[in-house]
Amino acid sequence: MRKFLAKNAPGYVFLSPWLIGFLFLALGPILVSLYLSFTKYDMIGDPRWVGLSQYEYMFTKDKRFWKSLQVTFTYVILAVPARLAFALMIAMVLDKGIRAIGIYRALYYLPSILGASIAIAILWRQIFNIDGVVNAFLSMFGIQGPNWIANPDTSLYTLVVLAMWQFGSPMLIFLAGLRGISPELYEAAEIDAASKPRQFFAITLPLLAPVIFFNIILQTIEAFKTFSSAFIISNGDGSPADSLLFFTIYLFNEAFKFFRMGYASALAWTLLVIIGAFTALSFFASKYWVHYENEKD
Amino acid sequence: MAESITTYDKNADAAEVSKKLRAARVKRENRQGLRKHLFLGIFALFMLYPLLWMLASSLKPENEIFGRLSIWPSEFIWSNYTEGWMRLQVSFTQFYSNSALVTILSVIGNLISCSFAAYAFARLTFSWSKFWFALMMMTLMIPYHVVLIPQYVMFLKLGWIDTYLPLVVPRFLASDAFFIFLMVQFFRQLPRELDEAASIDGCSPYKIYWAIIMPLSMPAMATAGIFSFIWVWEDFLAPLIYLNDIQNYTVPLALRLFVAEDSQSAYGQMFAMSILSLVPVLLFFVIFQKLIIKGIAMSGLK
Amino acid sequence: MKKFNRRKILKGMAIGTGGVAASSMFGTSAFAADERIRHFWWGNPSRDERTYKVIDLFKGANAGVEVSGETVGWGDYWTKMATQTAGKNMADLVQMDYRFLFEYVRRGALLPLDDYFNNTLFLDDFDKSAISGGIVDGKLYALNIGSNSQVCIYNTAMVEAAGAEFDPINWSHKDQMAVAQKISESTPDGVHGVDDATLDNVMWEVWSRQSGKPFYGPEGTVDGTVADLEKFWEHWAEMRASGAAPDAEHSVGKLGSKMAESGVVTQETAMSYMWSNQIVGVQSLSKDIIGAAMHPHMDGGDPGQFIKPSMFMALTRDSKNPELAVQYMNAWVNDAEATAVLGLERGIPASSKVRDALAPNFSDAEKVSVDYFNAIQTKVGTLSPPPPKGAGETQDAYVRVATNVILGNTSIKDGATAFIDEANSIIDRAS
Repeated sequence: MRKFLAKNAPGYVFLSPWLIGFLFLALGPILVSLYLSFTKYDMIGDPRWVGLSQYEYMFTKDKRFWKSLQVTFTYVILAVPARLAFALMIAMVLDKGIRAIGIYRALYYLPSILGASIAIAILWRQIFNIDGVVNAFLSMFGIQGPNWIANPDTSLYTLVVLAMWQFGSPMLIFLAGLRGISPELYEAAEIDAASKPRQFFAITLPLLAPVIFFNIILQTIEAFKTFSSAFIISNGDGSPADSLLFFTIYLFNEAFKFFRMGYASALAWTLLVIIGAFTALSFFASKYWVHYENEKD
Repeated sequence: MAESITTYDKNADAAEVSKKLRAARVKRENRQGLRKHLFLGIFALFMLYPLLWMLASSLKPENEIFGRLSIWPSEFIWSNYTEGWMRLQVSFTQFYSNSALVTILSVIGNLISCSFAAYAFARLTFSWSKFWFALMMMTLMIPYHVVLIPQYVMFLKLGWIDTYLPLVVPRFLASDAFFIFLMVQFFRQLPRELDEAASIDGCSPYKIYWAIIMPLSMPAMATAGIFSFIWVWEDFLAPLIYLNDIQNYTVPLALRLFVAEDSQSAYGQMFAMSILSLVPVLLFFVIFQKLIIKGIAMSGLK
Repeated sequence: MKKFNRRKILKGMAIGTGGVAASSMFGTSAFAADERIRHFWWGNPSRDERTYKVIDLFKGANAGVEVSGETVGWGDYWTKMATQTAGKNMADLVQMDYRFLFEYVRRGALLPLDDYFNNTLFLDDFDKSAISGGIVDGKLYALNIGSNSQVCIYNTAMVEAAGAEFDPINWSHKDQMAVAQKISESTPDGVHGVDDATLDNVMWEVWSRQSGKPFYGPEGTVDGTVADLEKFWEHWAEMRASGAAPDAEHSVGKLGSKMAESGVVTQETAMSYMWSNQIVGVQSLSKDIIGAAMHPHMDGGDPGQFIKPSMFMALTRDSKNPELAVQYMNAWVNDAEATAVLGLERGIPASSKVRDALAPNFSDAEKVSVDYFNAIQTKVGTLSPPPPKGAGETQDAYVRVATNVILGNTSIKDGATAFIDEANSIIDRAS
């Protein structure tokens, strides 16, 4: 018993703030939402148990559910790699010592600070309008662009561009990761006359792997849960013609606009299973490409 | 003796080569520097545009903000700033101090509690650790909107509605798994030998956390600090739900009072106050990003 | 002429019942210390300012009474409201919208006001029609704090410059097309006569009423027909083709835009559709003078427009002090000082006495708004039957289908059938 305590005590002492928060603040609401997913609940009266029928409706009758999955998956597949590649590239440029680097960093982080404010909604609409900046630029090459946000075929891409443009947070994390790589490693590589791409694949990539892994996981989870930016640009309901019907937008409307919190909870747990499966897969795959310093010996 | 001399020479050679290499690199980098600045500068313009646009809008007369007019205001309405500050029932001085209180406490709470949990997950062995880790990851995945109501009911029962407790207390209990996972990834990158050596010297895990892990993790902590400052400062959903009295409102909540979908808004004043609300964020960013750079000095320890 | 008659009638009503309304709600203080009520509304800077002033007046007149004013924007209001409702922690008094009233009443979140009638709440000076908007299933659940109706606003300078003339109260869809075409022709490219109404659910409802069928029947069924919807969309397709209305993409781009982005304010169009309590707001954003016209009539059709409460105040089931809350409510609509502060901001007051008291101080835009309101009194139809559960969702579905129709992704015929089908299945699922 004493041995057990000695082995576990420090771990649980350090874990205790999280554990207390999880057990007393987070777990209850999570379990309640699971329970609600088996009920009809309009938030004014009491929930009414309906078993699996919410899930059944979702998978067999609800066309908008499938539409929202399609929109969300398309977005995840396009936005996550683009944003990460962009963030890594800029982080590597900004990592090396050049003058006034702090200013660039602040500038590049700026769009992310603006987040999903009302200002961004207005700005984005103006930029991608029929006579906006983007089309003015395209017309220099003789291309007449559409009204990007109003066209259901193109509206999703404006959100992908927005995601790329707000690459600040993964960039900053990459930057912090790059800082952890000792410059001596690169110097040694220079002595060995290793080319820049080779240095990237032999040093940067393996040593940055834990951080890359973190960014992939988190960015993907965030992309699956995209809400604020889609909400402000789609007028809150996925317009035009459901082309911006992200999963969480659908869920939010079902819950707070149409008084179907039970159904919204079922949607949430379906999303949770999807994201969970993806994350578990990534963790499993990471054994083959992510190695940590503290596992080496 | 002879052996030691050759070794010395070898070292000298290596040092010489390394010196030359560095000099060559500096030269090359200076040449490249100009090109880089050009690239970075042009690129920065794209990044800067929204801010310039917001700044311009904050100075425009109300009916010019949405037209197809140029970004340059036809006349400068500086009063958007002075009047905007006092426009709402409560002045922005109050909103700023509310926001500052919530944000500072939250950043402190996040950094302490999340680094605790991360240290446990990354460096300590204890039973069920994988299980708790999986649950922690799960809290990241659940859409916030479906736990909103049960959480509200819970805080209501605790009598915490219209106080800052629902905003601050969870942060001292590591509610944001993002930061835990972030720190875990960084802590796991630190060489294991450090704690092992310290542990042999009789250091307790508590001492190791404080004297070894923390100092070596400045880039990660600074990153987490920046993120939590920005996210809490800008957070609007939780304050919307938990704060009722306008006296308690935070800045983002107040900003939304300027705009109404279906009636007259005060866009100019909203933009003016939005610009001002960026100032603390930028200041915090500039100060803390220096700590990320400092990481390089620390990594010499490796 | 009409206006004069209207005034006279209202005055007569006021005299006939005058003096019953508690002379000043702020005069008496019947409450012990730390009595507290909460009032929750969606607002804008000017509305918030006025409302807090009224709260101060009420507190000043009732020592020991605390009124907590809670305000957020429209978009945030319903999220917070639903959360508080679920937590059984609603404010004593909430602002209600016609669209959501029935949802909240039928789910049991609001209390009827009938018991307070004529002992705490005095509505003698109210127009009868204005009271009826808050009656659900035979009981009064919500108090009208401002009335409005649909309106076609127009930029008088642009209409004049085009040399177009029309009778803003009596004109047909054909007249409007001619006027709009004239304006489009006389203005630079990209400026059009009238905003497209294809995506506008309210306009469709008006059209359906003009065709003799309110969209929802008295039993809560979908009574609007595929044929009428086709005609409505065809009419607007013609408006686009003739150049009277802007192209489809422009209109989709304006979906959900704020008042300051609307075509009349940015001068991209000369005419547009709104609610009459928005006239003052639009005027404040425009350099040119804004006029108010009725929606064009259908030849030989029924009246399409109706007058409805723009906003309500309602008492919730979570109120801990309903008596005090209703007293506050009464002061809101009757007290001279309070109503003077509130003005027309939330809509035209339902009390004739209040309207008369406000009249001398109207601004030009307010005059336009009130004159319009008076002029349409005999031209509007009765209020449609209360919409069934799920009506809000149907509106979203309408916009979705209409977007596909206007962009040409769906034919008018298929779209109309699809929407009526979807409306039926939404109502089925909700009930």
